[in-house]
Amino acid sequence: MLTYLLRRLLLMIPTLLGITILVFTVMAMSPGGISAQTLIGGTDMKPQEKQALLNYYNKRYGLDKPAPVQYLRWLNNVSPIGFTIDEQGNRGEFSFSKGMDLGTSFQYGRPVSDILAERIPITLLLNLVTIPFTYLIAIFVGMKSAANRGGSFDVGMGMSMLALWSIPTMLAGVLLLGFFGNVQHFQWFPTAGISSREAQDMPFLPHWEQTGFVRGFLLDRVWHLILPVICLSYGSFAALAKLTRTSILENLNSDYARTARAKGLAEHDVLWRHVFRNSLLPLITISAGLLPSLLAGSLIVENIFSINGMGQLAVEAVKGRDRELVLSITWVSGFLTLIGYLIADFCYTLADPRVSYD
Amino acid sequence: MTETTVSRESFSAHIWRKTLDGVGVKVGLAWIALLVFAAVFAPFLANSMPLLISKDGIISAPVLRYLSVEDAWVLATFFIALAVYRLRLGSGKRILLFLLGSAVAALLVNMFLKPPVLVIYDDFRTITYTDVDWRIMPPIPYAPTDYLRDLGSKGLEAPFKTEGHTHLMGTEENGADVLSRMIHACRISLSIGLIASGIALFIGVIVGGLMGYFSGIVDMLGMRLVEIFEDIPTLFLLLTFVAFFGRSLYMMMVIIGITGWSGYARYVRQEFLKLRKQDYVQAAVASGLPLSSILFRHMLPNGVAPLLVAVSFGVAGAILSEATLSFLGLGVVDAPSWGQMLDQAVKSSTFNWWMAAFPGGAIFMTVFSYNLIGEAFRDAIDPQLSRKAGVN
Amino acid sequence: MSQPLLEVRNLHTYLQSGGREVRAVDGISFSIPKSETFCLVGESGSGKSISALSVIRLLPQDIATHPSGEILFNGQDLLKLDDPAIRSVRGSQIAMIFQEPMTSLNPVLSIGEQITEALQLHHPGMSDSEAEQRTILALEQVQMPHAARRFRDYPHQLSGGQRQRVMIAMALACEPQLLIADEPTTALDVTVQAEILRLMRKLQDDTGMSIFFITHDFGVVSQMAQWVGVMQQGKLVEVGACIDVLRKPQHSYTRQLLAALPENLSKPVLATTQNLDELSTAEQTPLVKIRDLKVWFPIKKGLFRHTVDYVRAVDEVSLDIPQGQIVALVGESGCGKTTLGRALLQLEKPTSGSVQIDGQELTGLSAHELRPLRRKMQIAFQDPQSSLNPRLLIETTLTEPMKVHGIGGNDEERIELAALLLESVQLKRDFLWRYPHEFSGGQRQRIGLARALALNPEFIVCDEITSALDVSVQAEILQLLLSIRQQRNLTLLFITHNIGVVEYLSDQTVVMYKGKIVERGKTAQVCKTPQHPYTQKLLAAVPRLIM
Repeated sequence: MLTYLLRRLLLMIPTLLGITILVFTVMAMSPGGISAQTLIGGTDMKPQEKQALLNYYNKRYGLDKPAPVQYLRWLNNVSPIGFTIDEQGNRGEFSFSKGMDLGTSFQYGRPVSDILAERIPITLLLNLVTIPFTYLIAIFVGMKSAANRGGSFDVGMGMSMLALWSIPTMLAGVLLLGFFGNVQHFQWFPTAGISSREAQDMPFLPHWEQTGFVRGFLLDRVWHLILPVICLSYGSFAALAKLTRTSILENLNSDYARTARAKGLAEHDVLWRHVFRNSLLPLITISAGLLPSLLAGSLIVENIFSINGMGQLAVEAVKGRDRELVLSITWVSGFLTLIGYLIADFCYTLADPRVSYD
Repeated sequence: MTETTVSRESFSAHIWRKTLDGVGVKVGLAWIALLVFAAVFAPFLANSMPLLISKDGIISAPVLRYLSVEDAWVLATFFIALAVYRLRLGSGKRILLFLLGSAVAALLVNMFLKPPVLVIYDDFRTITYTDVDWRIMPPIPYAPTDYLRDLGSKGLEAPFKTEGHTHLMGTEENGADVLSRMIHACRISLSIGLIASGIALFIGVIVGGLMGYFSGIVDMLGMRLVEIFEDIPTLFLLLTFVAFFGRSLYMMMVIIGITGWSGYARYVRQEFLKLRKQDYVQAAVASGLPLSSILFRHMLPNGVAPLLVAVSFGVAGAILSEATLSFLGLGVVDAPSWGQMLDQAVKSSTFNWWMAAFPGGAIFMTVFSYNLIGEAFRDAIDPQLSRKAGVN
Repeated sequence: MSQPLLEVRNLHTYLQSGGREVRAVDGISFSIPKSETFCLVGESGSGKSISALSVIRLLPQDIATHPSGEILFNGQDLLKLDDPAIRSVRGSQIAMIFQEPMTSLNPVLSIGEQITEALQLHHPGMSDSEAEQRTILALEQVQMPHAARRFRDYPHQLSGGQRQRVMIAMALACEPQLLIADEPTTALDVTVQAEILRLMRKLQDDTGMSIFFITHDFGVVSQMAQWVGVMQQGKLVEVGACIDVLRKPQHSYTRQLLAALPENLSKPVLATTQNLDELSTAEQTPLVKIRDLKVWFPIKKGLFRHTVDYVRAVDEVSLDIPQGQIVALVGESGCGKTTLGRALLQLEKPTSGSVQIDGQELTGLSAHELRPLRRKMQIAFQDPQSSLNPRLLIETTLTEPMKVHGIGGNDEERIELAALLLESVQLKRDFLWRYPHEFSGGQRQRIGLARALALNPEFIVCDEITSALDVSVQAEILQLLLSIRQQRNLTLLFITHNIGVVEYLSDQTVVMYKGKIVERGKTAQVCKTPQHPYTQKLLAAVPRLIM
């Protein structure tokens, strides 16, 4: 098991390198390339700021060098082990403890690591709330559909799940926000952010005070999250519900289910004691692929609901051609995805005794 | 032993019959057909200029005079496709003929068509065009970029709320008719969907096929590449590409294509690994058939049906990608697209439901249609569940 | 005959399938006395499994109906019982085991859990520890080695035979009066089958239960049954005491089935004598020469996936296949016989060793260099479902290799040749213009043979080509094979696990065990006086028809 874990972690390295190389290549191949001019050209800056930016990039990448060298220099800066770099950008000793330097975002004028540390938890919160929610609904709907296969609930759900899956996230987001958040219609939910401005001063739990009901930090957060989570989850649970249904039907028709019936088990027990656990196995496998799609979903949802997470950051970084931010967001989201795969695999070993890793 | 009697039809004919055997798929196909019709005949369906006018006994067609190169080419291609479809030829020859025909059409249209550079829509509402014997207007008498300034349009009018003239789906902030813009945007959605997934499919089949057939080191390297493309959220990769490469329509197609191939590659690889073990492929190898025949005659056609399922879902995905990019403000700039219209709905200071609901609904219907078709197709191909409805 | 335990009277079972009604079981009547075994034999699709499932009422109720008939179990009509009542009969009084031990157990529950579940279901109130004791007892009863330690094992940790033992233990845990066994040994190797059959007979003696045994194998019938029923297209054409039916079959269908068994098939006399003449000269000139052939698959483990060991599928095999002979390659599943067959044709890359045909070396050649040699050797496969490309007309399947190898001057000529080929495998020539899905399994196997013959090869590897077929179809294919061999002077390597087929068909027999050849010689000699202990065990395990 330990060997397997180690092997998987080692295999992540080439994938992460590949991801960053890919994105770096895209930037290098873009019209104008990654010369000093294109990096600072677009933005309105004072001459001394431009000079500072130029100096910064020159030090970090060596802008006169060819693209592969620039990439390697970036990699050296970002990787936790590598060569130390002195003030003039010259290479020093090889060190194992030099630490990671993600660089500085000029768009925000702050270190990238600070920005990420602020933004990642927000996106993770959004996704971690969404995943269990998604699974609960999906399993419930899938089980009910499979249980009365061919019935009206099954047919109706089959169609509506496919329809739900086809609704573009932005349409759902815009309409939900427009109807439920906007002053013109029902103003039930907040339109932006994940907490109110005054939420910091609130106590954690809701309670009554003399002035009236105080919703507290927790309830405020929930209130803000409802619409974004709905937007983020409906597509995934539609797909998952269909998968659950197929999986349960397949297992209900399997040989071992027949054995269980031959034992004298009632259909209800066959479903819950035998079929259910086997049917969940493909759902675990799928959960790995869910994370990248949720991260992509956050991109849209965060933009619609003005949530300051990774997704919004990504769009801003790309629009502002903020090289350091784009590269770091790339490898961080890749890394999160890979960790997601690993966790899913690990859960699979727990659920299925047939799979063991040596 | 009972002899199984099966109807005399080829495998593909059988699949088609089973696919079309449902309500959902018919709805899907009908919607796509409607979109194709709208995309091809857009200038005749929604335009500010009359289709035909008769003035002083002279009949003229301003629409034809102002027909752009692109419009003419799309029309020509459509009729070539129709003609080729009626011909009794092998599918390979048909595709070749079609490609040839559309290329010739592109050439001719570019050489001979010189539409006026400047179009002032207001002119069509002056007496030159209104004081006539008779005239036939398009069903939606507004061009997508006609802001109706001469009519004193304030913009942002809900459906049927305008006095004097009807806007079936309302107008945008600048006064442009929503329905007209949507009709003209059909072209982008359809072409991006098809061409981008065509590119993705092409790359995916080549890479996946190589991985599946040769396995070993080719497979290992290929899988790493697939993983790299899969592990970055596609949308983010798309954004990066678009932001750094510019946003023309063709660039968009290529970019959506090259970020979307990994799924197909994985699919084809799996299919090829499975097919390679099939006895008939082994028999083909044992007969000494050349590699091209083994790959393209014995393996690919048998893997293509499940692949087409993936493609129809893929087209839906590509359409969504384009819409999302436009929505995030990184889409095609020079032509209306549904995503861009949705973006406008968000950017507008007030919430105007018609600006969001109609283009969004169109995206939804299109994606839903492709998904319905894909679903029906998959059920037709995969008899596993239908077989298991029987006993054992 | 005393009061029978089970009496089936005029049972009808109709299945709803795609809007049509299939009369799967069409008025059968039989009875099973206490402590005796009734065997239902028949070919695939005859309705024997459906009959068994009807008795225990396991058919899905939405598609299966019983328009008429009675199933009297201890005098009680099972068809009239409601759902809870039938469930209390299932498992406790009537138990059932199935064909596929691999898939019949729940993969995510331990075998102990699955057996105790049955126990506690029918003995509510039984404590966990008592249930565990009883389970271990049941496992010991089915001669499971280390029963107590196996309690917490999962099905995937057991072999096929052991899983079938677990299934039997689970079925017998509640001491049922009737055990329904639906082809319980079909998926097992012949030596394991012998053990399981022996176990079932012993358990019957110990417990006095009745067995309702479904099989297609007359050898198994003659070993197990006191009573036998022969089923054809949903009807029981003959029922009687086992000895009577096997010795003096009354119905023509029964006679036909018995005559189709390989051991009863008459060998074409001419062919045999001719072969004996050739044998002496042929042995000096082997057509195919295999020397030290190894096909090893690496097992990779550890951090860097280095190879720690190999699966020795074929391990240093040397073999000569003489011109014009049929060499049978026998062995159990997983012994490497199929891998050997494929490695001969370079469909599987050998790890080392040499394969020569007509003195020409095959190993190490590129695909291009191999092509002219491919004409000499062909292969026919086991699975009729996957042996033909579903997208191609039979015509294309047959003429394409001819075109590649330059046989026939033009397309018309090749089509004529293909038509002749179809006629030579006793099919109509207009079958050329059909797709594979229009044919039955037997027809497909004939077409598969025709494809192998298309290049006019000298040598054909037949990989279990009759294993998926019913006996009557198998008999036809075997006879066809012999006549083709004689016409074309073919050399065959016939891979099979069926000893009856070996005895009927082959001139020489090669026995393979764990990747190595353990015995070879003339068929009669190997079958009569086996030398190697494994061969002896294998031959002893074959269920023979006791006449």
